[in-house]
This record gives sequence, structure tokens and C-alpha cells, in this order.
Amino acid sequence: MNWLARLQHLDRRIIFLLMGLSILIPVLFPLPMSFEVDERVQNLYQAVERVPPGSRVLISADFDPSSRPELEPFFRANLDHLFRRNVKVVVVSLVPYAPGLVSPLLRVYGERYHKQEGVDWVYLGFKEGKELIIKAMGANMRQTFPTSYAGVSIDQLPIMNGIKQLKDFPLIVMVSSGSPGTKEWVVQVQAQYALNMVSSCTAVQTPDYIPYYKAGQLLGLAGGMPGAAQYEKLVGVPTADAMATRGVNVLNLGHAFIILAILVGNISYFASKRREP
Amino acid sequence: MKRTLPLIITVVIGILMVGEYFIPHYRYHLITNNILEWGALVASAALLLGLVNLLQVNVPVIRYRHQDWGYKLVMMVGLVGSLIAGFVGGEGRLDYAPSHFVYSYVFSPLDATMFALLGFYIASAAFRAFRARNLEAALLLIAAVIVMIGRVPLGSALSVALFDYDYLGRVMNWIMDVPNNAGRRALLIGAALGAVATGLRIILGIERSHLGGD
Repeated sequence: MNWLARLQHLDRRIIFLLMGLSILIPVLFPLPMSFEVDERVQNLYQAVERVPPGSRVLISADFDPSSRPELEPFFRANLDHLFRRNVKVVVVSLVPYAPGLVSPLLRVYGERYHKQEGVDWVYLGFKEGKELIIKAMGANMRQTFPTSYAGVSIDQLPIMNGIKQLKDFPLIVMVSSGSPGTKEWVVQVQAQYALNMVSSCTAVQTPDYIPYYKAGQLLGLAGGMPGAAQYEKLVGVPTADAMATRGVNVLNLGHAFIILAILVGNISYFASKRREP
Repeated sequence: MKRTLPLIITVVIGILMVGEYFIPHYRYHLITNNILEWGALVASAALLLGLVNLLQVNVPVIRYRHQDWGYKLVMMVGLVGSLIAGFVGGEGRLDYAPSHFVYSYVFSPLDATMFALLGFYIASAAFRAFRARNLEAALLLIAAVIVMIGRVPLGSALSVALFDYDYLGRVMNWIMDVPNNAGRRALLIGAALGAVATGLRIILGIERSHLGGD
């Protein structure tokens, strides 16, 4: 049992190596597994399904390179879902690192679905101000974003005809990785304007937003890569494009390794305690 | 006057903005909309202030070769280089713009790498620090293990293979929906009450720490 106690002092480089292998092996040798869809993701999907074709949906795309693996797949699947249903998309960003990721994706999906910029979709870009901008959008969208990311006046964009405030959108989708994000949207504008909102967030934030979902302030919630994978399954994203589905199968071994590390660490700890007088 | 005028501004603007939630009249909202627009302008100006502050703090460290001056130099080179790329090379939304290059091939991979490193440190922490030293810690660890394995397909596959039903997923969802929800609600309500109290103190001029000075 002496070796068990000595495990506590295992060189952490070995732990790093094993962690790296637990991620690398499923990437090189995929082992897909089936998964069920959560009620929260199911409700998110249904909320999007209820938006009539031809309507406009606002997406607040607030992810950056660090949260990209968890949130970009949802954003892509959401664009698939909305464009397939001929729903028009207005996208804004409240974090400064989002435009570099969001703008190219919108162009790709706009071309894929033969959607015209300014008519079927528009990216209004990033605005500094965090919660202030959310509040300002709630009061006056046109004053807050007077031009699009491409520099076109909002009055010249057919997609923005008749849009004055957030409540003119039948649904708001939040793809958020931190602050400002889902919490700020719910706190600042959801109750005041009785907005319909759904959210995709990082896995770490999901427990924080479950109270909002349970209270009905969020109609649906997709948490992290598993949530995005479930949404991809519902939308029917082709396997080649289903980034989250591929990613979540990589997480299998990673999570199993973390659990193993916790178990072995605790066994080693109790073994060392038993040896002490 | 130096502290009185900011206090007056705080009181007036604070009361106006609180009133916006309760007063639906459009004339009132015209005033508050303008205040929100001013706030957005001030927030954008604060970015410039932050930039100046960054230079003020780090240039002396580089100049007098204080501790870690090399890292500060790299940071300043990155800062100035990105600024030049942004000002000179055209709008970042354009694929050929230098700022687009800096974002896509420098910032983006670095940001992703920094975040990815966390996974390794979490693995190390899981092995070394997550100890079931008492009953509460043991309960926490058990819940953490159930949620971790329940969130990935492996969990439901294991549960179905062993029990012919996804018990793990059901327990995981119960943990998230019941005890987690209860705890989070308590935290949210506590934090919200604290924010209301602090906001009231600031609006009424009782709390003056935001004005700075003594």
C-alpha cells in the first residue's frame, strides 16, 4: 500500500501527459456514442420553431477564441435552423473579440443559403458599453446601432424596417461566454420588455442560468458543448459540420480521466492517512 | 464643489434611470434614451483611458528595467503593433486587412491556447486538491462526479448498459434542477438585494467611494 500513498507526490507532468492523451486518442480514433436531448435544449429548439418564417430574430453573438469550441457549433447550428426556416437574422456583439469570428461565419452561411446581406441577415457589429448597450437596445435599437458592421446606415437596411426596440423581435438568442452575457440580458431587459429569450452558454455557466430557465425568463438553454451537440442533433446538422457532436465524443475520455484522477487522488490520500500514526 | 457636483449628477441620473422602469411615458424615455447614449460614449472613451493607463504603468517599468520588464516590452510591442495594424491597414472585417491577420493568426490561437491550458491544470488539481476531507466535501465530490459523467454520452451509455435505463442522466438533471437551482437562487437573491442596497446608497449620496479621494 506504500505505493498508493506515494502516488500523492506523482509528478504533475505525468498527469499533464495523461490528460493530453485522453484528449488526443479520441480525436485520432473517434468512438461516436449516441446521446439523449435534454428538456432544456428541446425547449430551445421549439422556441426557434415557433418563430414564423419571414420574421426577424436577434442573435447576440458574444463568443471569442477561448469559448469558440463550446459556442461556435451552437451559433452555426442556429444559423442553419433559422435560415432553413427563412427567418431573418440580425446579429450584434457585445464583446470586442467576437466580430473576427462572427462576421466570416455569417458570410459563409449567408452564401450557403443564398441569403442577401441587408435583406435576410445583417451584422450590426460590436459596441462597447456592456449592460448599457443592452439597456440602450431595449429602449432604442436604431440609436444604439446607427450603422451596420459594414458601415451601411441602418435606415438603408431593409431587414431593419420597423425595428425600433428589442421587443420588435419575436425571439432573442444569446450565445454568450461571459460578461456581458445571458445574465445581463435577463437582468436588464427581459422582465421590462417581456422578451422571449433563449441562450447558449459555456458549460461552466449553465448552473448559473438554470434559475432563469426554471423561472421562465429563458425559454430554452443549451449548456456547453453537450448542449450544442444536442441542438445539432435536433436541427439535423450534417455529420461533417457537426463540430459539437464530434467534440462531445472527445470529452468522454477527458471527463473519465478527471474522474479517475479524483478517485485515485482520494484513495492515495486515505492510504497515506492510514499510514500516519 | 469637487465632490458635490459629481454627487448631484449621480443622484439626478440615478433617480432618472430607476424611474425609467416604472414610467412608460415616451417623453420620459426620450430623456433616458439620451442618457444611455451618453453612457455608451463614456464607455467607449474609457477604452482610450485604459490604453493611456496601460502605457503609463508599463513604460516606466521598461525604461528603468524593473522586474519582468521583458514581458512588459513584449506586451507594448504587441499593443503598438496591433494599433498600427488597425489604423493603417483598413477595417478588420476585410479579409486582407493586417488587423484581420493579427486577430486570426496571432490573437485567436494564443487566446485559445491559454484557455486550453486550463484543462491540464484542472486535471492536476483534481488529482492533488479535490479531497473528501469531510462529509460536505465528499457530497460535493460525488455530485461533481455524477454531473461530469452525466453530461457526456459515456455516462448515459454506461447507465443504459448496466441498468437498461439512463439513471445517471436523471440523477444529473435532478442535481442541476433541485439543489443547484436552490443554491443559485439564494445566491442571486442575496446578490440582487446587495446590489439594490448599494445602488440606493450611491444614488442617495451615502456611499461616496466611487468619487475617489479621501
